Amino acid sequence: MVEVLSQTSDRSAEFETQDLLLNVGPQHPSTHGVFRMVMTVDGEVVRDVIPYIGYLHRGAEKLCETMDFRQGIGFMDRTEYLAAFNAELSYVMAVEALADLEVPERAQWIRMILSELNRLSSHFMFLGAFGVDTGVFGTPFIYAWREREALIDLFEEVSGDRMMYAYFRPGGVAWDVPINFVDRVKEVLKSSAQGIDDFDSLLSENEIFLARTQGVGAISAERAIALGMSGPSLRASGVDMDIRRDEPYLKYDELEWDVITGDHGDVFDRYYCRVLEMRESIKIISQCLDRLAPGPILPEKMPRMLRTPPGEVYLRTEAPRGEYGVYMVSRGGNRPYRCKVRSSCLSNLQALHELTVGEYVADAIIILGSIDIVLSEVDR
Amino acid sequence: MRGIAKSMARTFAVFLRKPVTRDYPSYHKPIPERDRAFPLLLWDEGIDEPFCTGCHACERACPVECMTVLMKDNPNHKSLDGTSSRRKIIDKFWIDYARCMRCNICVEVCNFDAIAMNNTWEGHETSVYDRQDLVMDLQQLLSQSRTGNINEWVPVLGQTNETVSEADAEDSEVSN
Amino acid sequence: MSVELFGTSFNPWADAAIRLQLVVGFMTVVVMGLIYAERKILARFHQRVGPQKTGPRGLLQSVADAVKLVGKEDLRPAAADPWTFELAPYFVFIPIFLGFVIVPWVQDWNVRLLELGILYFVAISSISIVGWVMAGWGSDNRYAIIGALRAAAQGISYELPLVLALLSAAMIAGSLQLDKIVEFQSTVPLIVWQPLGFFIFFVAALAELNRTPFDIPVGESEIVGGPFVEYSGIRWSMFFLAEYAGMLIMAFVGSSVFLGGYSWPFGEDFGLPLQILLAAGKGGLFIFLIFWVRASVPRLRIDQLMGYSWKILLPFSFLQILINGFVLVYGLPHIVLLITGVLSLGLLFWVTEGIVQRPLEPRRRRARPTIVQEAEVS
Repeated sequence: MVEVLSQTSDRSAEFETQDLLLNVGPQHPSTHGVFRMVMTVDGEVVRDVIPYIGYLHRGAEKLCETMDFRQGIGFMDRTEYLAAFNAELSYVMAVEALADLEVPERAQWIRMILSELNRLSSHFMFLGAFGVDTGVFGTPFIYAWREREALIDLFEEVSGDRMMYAYFRPGGVAWDVPINFVDRVKEVLKSSAQGIDDFDSLLSENEIFLARTQGVGAISAERAIALGMSGPSLRASGVDMDIRRDEPYLKYDELEWDVITGDHGDVFDRYYCRVLEMRESIKIISQCLDRLAPGPILPEKMPRMLRTPPGEVYLRTEAPRGEYGVYMVSRGGNRPYRCKVRSSCLSNLQALHELTVGEYVADAIIILGSIDIVLSEVDR
Repeated sequence: MRGIAKSMARTFAVFLRKPVTRDYPSYHKPIPERDRAFPLLLWDEGIDEPFCTGCHACERACPVECMTVLMKDNPNHKSLDGTSSRRKIIDKFWIDYARCMRCNICVEVCNFDAIAMNNTWEGHETSVYDRQDLVMDLQQLLSQSRTGNINEWVPVLGQTNETVSEADAEDSEVSN
Repeated sequence: MSVELFGTSFNPWADAAIRLQLVVGFMTVVVMGLIYAERKILARFHQRVGPQKTGPRGLLQSVADAVKLVGKEDLRPAAADPWTFELAPYFVFIPIFLGFVIVPWVQDWNVRLLELGILYFVAISSISIVGWVMAGWGSDNRYAIIGALRAAAQGISYELPLVLALLSAAMIAGSLQLDKIVEFQSTVPLIVWQPLGFFIFFVAALAELNRTPFDIPVGESEIVGGPFVEYSGIRWSMFFLAEYAGMLIMAFVGSSVFLGGYSWPFGEDFGLPLQILLAAGKGGLFIFLIFWVRASVPRLRIDQLMGYSWKILLPFSFLQILINGFVLVYGLPHIVLLITGVLSLGLLFWVTEGIVQRPLEPRRRRARPTIVQEAEVS
């Protein structure tokens, strides 16, 4: 436990002030999950931040050691429930790398479409929560959930579940998409484009929003790389790094899309990078829809129980929050010996201390929101 | 001030749109065919017994170990002057709905197509006062299928739309 | 001295008491209706419907909320300062009720028309800030103290622009008595002559009411309720009602002073029904504007909020008074007021815009070239 700090402020000799210990506790409307921050506050300025994590630790990695490769997919879903397709994708691709499976083309396109749609839904969640953090009462949140509802309905039609899909399998996807899939995706893309437009008009040019977010919580490119950040938070600082382009997986190297980088690395850039990234996702999905052709979705000779030869692999993909990597060690047999998840949110959260110290309390909440963490990935 | 005016114009535009609220419970969203609610056992109407033979395949495959399966010799087997070709039949079967994570693996590994995920949520009451009431026994698991009250979707792993439509065409040919 | 009320004369004290009772009763019902209206209107801004099930179209939602709040356990923190904790709701609530004394609802319907109407109103409404600080201090909770101090700083900062905006309108109308101001506007509402004053009044009123974008003392997403975090049940509802009653007063004072109240366009000629319609319509418009701003705009940080008041609103309200002074002393026609008002409003917006950097050229992008398909190897 942290003791109460009592120190004199070095501002003037007449005032002897005491720093206030503020507990932004596990139950709080704006910590995006069960996350605890103990802030030492001098008036309104944050002097120190100590994050406490682990409230949502369920031992997912250890459980995966007792599960075979198909059973573990359900657990990977739950490590990042807002972007479950991307989490499943890393895991499943790691198994395929170990077992040297080749994924049929239709399965790859389907995986791409669903992963990008999941990126859309995850960023909508970010926009909703972030808008509420800045103080607009409820409007961004409801817009976000309106769009997410359309996306989640689509996911339910494809996989059977609204959030914990368990749809990808090593080698492809479990079953084919419904017959009206292409039309449904086009419908959803239209409404998502309208939703992104709503957010853009509501927030991006609003003077008060700009005054709250510009220049706040800026991090330089060198420090961001040193802290191990990834994803839109890193690209907002100007670092041009996107795993989909630099180490292409699935079919990203056959499509045309842009990587968005920012200039200042402040909260506004992190927000705006995500908004523009959503538009790029829509572009990617439209191109994928054109190339979706009938075909098999699992390799021809799939064994009933998949066994992999001994080996290890580290495979990373670009999840909505950054680099979601799976390091898998197999000793032969049908289950991983070790399945470690390199979580993007945990690495991004390292920057919290550096970003928050010296800012106001109100800004600390916004900065936490802009890093966009989901606690299930931080704690696994 | 332009930005604030733009925000306010956008919220006013949304004010004029039709609300997206669906008035539950007078309106129920149509649930897609593939929706995965909780697992159920299927009843073989022709022979009047469950499909399930108690082979433990699903019990072994379940990630959260929510099933308990016991089999017995089938009194209805042909060798005992019965109608069924199943030597063994299910005796007791428990699924703990509180542990089930609805991942569909039990359906995939079943050799007899005996278990399926229900796709309505109205099959069993899942809000109970005591957690033990969520452990479903054999009769409860069979109840929906016996009364013909089920609407399940049982996919085959790796089925594509072409194979499904071919199978449908075959089925309709056969029945014609 | 006796005064007339519904055709009978009463002792002035009894008469005041009866009128106050009527106003209080009216106010309670209207405030509950306001809460319902806010939920419905805010819901439509979110493209959803608000309360629907309690009563026909959800009309009884406020009643249900009140019943629930009355039934809640009355918690007091063990280490709360007993006197400040107990008395804080009253210090917030009573000044706002007293503000209803001078509001001119329609012609001849009011509690008392004090000659110092506007002065009385401003003086009384600033007492509730003391109540906020008492609530925050007495709660023995860090969030409460932070919220209370923010509320005090904000309330004090925005008193001045509020007062000056109202005074500048009173300068043109020639009186501090509210119904004389309303009658002055029988041909042209004061918003035409004082656009800058109206804008300053609106922004300062939002800040005094602790509404978005100035609701950082009750920032729901940060310090969860601010000074009122330890209050539960009926005590908390007194604060809540006080907020909406304050909104009602500000709306009616604002519409009386700037929008013409019950008098413009033809209120005094056509008698009571039209006056009621006009008064209610203008008050309702003001309140709708408050809700609309709440649904659209993020909240300002405390230092930005105070900077806005002291560095921008206050100088511009001085400017408005200066302009009024020139026009009145030199006898210039009122159209000068309109022209200078619009120009200064434009200047205000321009100054506000200069604060933020316009970011919105698209960020640097790296386009990804399409991969060249390898030639078929046969």
